[in-house]
Amino acid sequence: MEKPKILIVDDDPDLRRGLNLRLRANHYDTAYATDGFSAIAMAQKEQPDLIILDLGLPAGDGFVVLERLQQSANLATIPVIVLTARDPQTSREKSLRAGATAFFQKPVDNGELMGAIRTTLRTAWPGTATSA
Amino acid sequence: MNHSKHVLLIEDNPGDADLIRLRLVESKSDVDVACVDRLSTGLEQMTEDPPAVVLLDLNLPDSRGAETFRNVLSKAPGVPVVVLSGQDDEELAVKAVHQGVQDYLVKGAFDSKQLGRAIRYAMERQALLTSLDMSRKQQLQFKDQFLSHVSHELRTPLTSIHQFVTILLDGLAGPVSPEQREHLETILRSAQQLRTMIGDLLEASRTESGKVSLQRRCIAVDQVIEQAVAMLQASARAKQVGLEAAVDSRIPLLYADPDRVLQVLTNLIDNAVKFTPPEGSIMVRACMAELDPDFVYVSVTDTGRGISPEAKALIFERLYQDPNAVDSSRKGLGLGLYISKELVRLHGGKIWVESDPGHGSTFSFTLPLFSPAKLLRPVIVQHGKLREALSLISVRFTPRRTPGGGSWNEIRHECVELLQLCVLPDKDLVLPPMAGAGPDETFLIVASADAAGTNVLANRIREQLRRRSELQASGSFEVSARAIPLPGAESGGSLEKLVGQVADRITEMAMSILRHEEEVTREA
Repeated sequence: MEKPKILIVDDDPDLRRGLNLRLRANHYDTAYATDGFSAIAMAQKEQPDLIILDLGLPAGDGFVVLERLQQSANLATIPVIVLTARDPQTSREKSLRAGATAFFQKPVDNGELMGAIRTTLRTAWPGTATSA
Repeated sequence: MNHSKHVLLIEDNPGDADLIRLRLVESKSDVDVACVDRLSTGLEQMTEDPPAVVLLDLNLPDSRGAETFRNVLSKAPGVPVVVLSGQDDEELAVKAVHQGVQDYLVKGAFDSKQLGRAIRYAMERQALLTSLDMSRKQQLQFKDQFLSHVSHELRTPLTSIHQFVTILLDGLAGPVSPEQREHLETILRSAQQLRTMIGDLLEASRTESGKVSLQRRCIAVDQVIEQAVAMLQASARAKQVGLEAAVDSRIPLLYADPDRVLQVLTNLIDNAVKFTPPEGSIMVRACMAELDPDFVYVSVTDTGRGISPEAKALIFERLYQDPNAVDSSRKGLGLGLYISKELVRLHGGKIWVESDPGHGSTFSFTLPLFSPAKLLRPVIVQHGKLREALSLISVRFTPRRTPGGGSWNEIRHECVELLQLCVLPDKDLVLPPMAGAGPDETFLIVASADAAGTNVLANRIREQLRRRSELQASGSFEVSARAIPLPGAESGGSLEKLVGQVADRITEMAMSILRHEEEVTREA
């Protein structure tokens, strides 16, 4: 059975590298994008099962990405977990309203993040999230 | 073009008013004067067309003495006021200036030059004050922005440290020797400490500038305490410190922000764990106090080394640090208790500490109880009597998307609004939202209706909920109803007492619904 694929969108190379390692160790396939513009292009190309999205991005911030995803018919159903250094008090509600399924502030507890990924995949794609 | 300054003269004696006008003309000040003889008319004019300066007589037909300038200062802050008084009263003059009046002149004791100067200087001083006030506000705002920016920027490298240390610790980059593990755990602990400090910094700045808003709900205090104890049990155990809770189960619901109460509790317990030696113990209690029936008392008692009387007075101050801390390198920022104090104060409660140096401390705070009697009275009383039938409808919302979602304030608002639209305002009451232990939300409605009427209302609510597609997409709703047992006429007592009894009963029912304990009689 194919592994679920997760698209990491973050402009910080260290974070991408670390998250990539962590996700692969948990038996997920990964792809990544480094800015808002390429995030949409990568999502179209890779059709990931889930997106982990930073909010502060060059070329269209996270909210723009969320909006674009919602607008495009074949991407609107992909669940998005926001992972950002921004203040939850100002960004959590806004992210969830914009269509994100969950919000975490960096640095995030790995157990919590992996748990949220598993739950999200199970809810969004029943039967496919069995690899972890 | 008219560049002259607008002066409002509030003076009821026509002779005095004419004399002051004359002095103003003589002083060659470039002003135009409007004169009124009542304080009320003066205040009206000030709001319609704010003058550059107010010349104020104190004894007017509708106001006398200090009351007059107090009124003007409070209604029109920022407008300079010069008092022109018939009394040469030094004490009153000092009082006036202390409260914000720019000058106090005694009638008949000034010439035109002095009056002109007083007006000019009053305006100058007021302008200076206004700009100082502005720059203070700007500074506070700048500090907020600065801290928000700094905390964001600090989090990025901190995330990297956290991420790669955990990668090493979890063996994702190869096996780790016991000694290496120990060192890595030290790094991780420090990174977590740093994370807390960054959070506190932002939070303290926000409380200071009044940007913290409470999302108050009806909450059960034992559930919040349980949650806080569960969160800190591991760190207590690691230090071999006992951590237990004893909560009086008869405590009714609180009206408070559950996240903020949890924040205060975890902060106090975390401190207790830090300052209690191994083999010590921590006890969290909640009880009612007879002296203060509208509040619940929550306390955290430890068997640590206690707090000196000098420190007791300062411990809730911002940036306070214990000079005698044993582990002085791990003092923290000294913001936790300050934030706790502010959060409790926002709820209308108070926080304090009692301590027996060498034996331990007890930190206590109070939180307001939810008192439904006042809210309920207009609904459950009709023509001076209790209504004949009352029922309680509950709407339980289970969100579909929960992980990391936190509380859904927007959804909550929408639900409350929708319910408000369904009910009849003078017959039914939507209670404030309740927070349970899980991610679900429960909304309660007290309806003045018998079984049939309740059924109609419950169905209307179901129908309205079904129509809201965005609410349906976010979770599922379960609407149920049950009758509220009413005290019989034979129970006697005044109407107030009866209302109190019904309110207590509703609170009991609400708590068992919140705890998922009750047996629901569902209507079709």
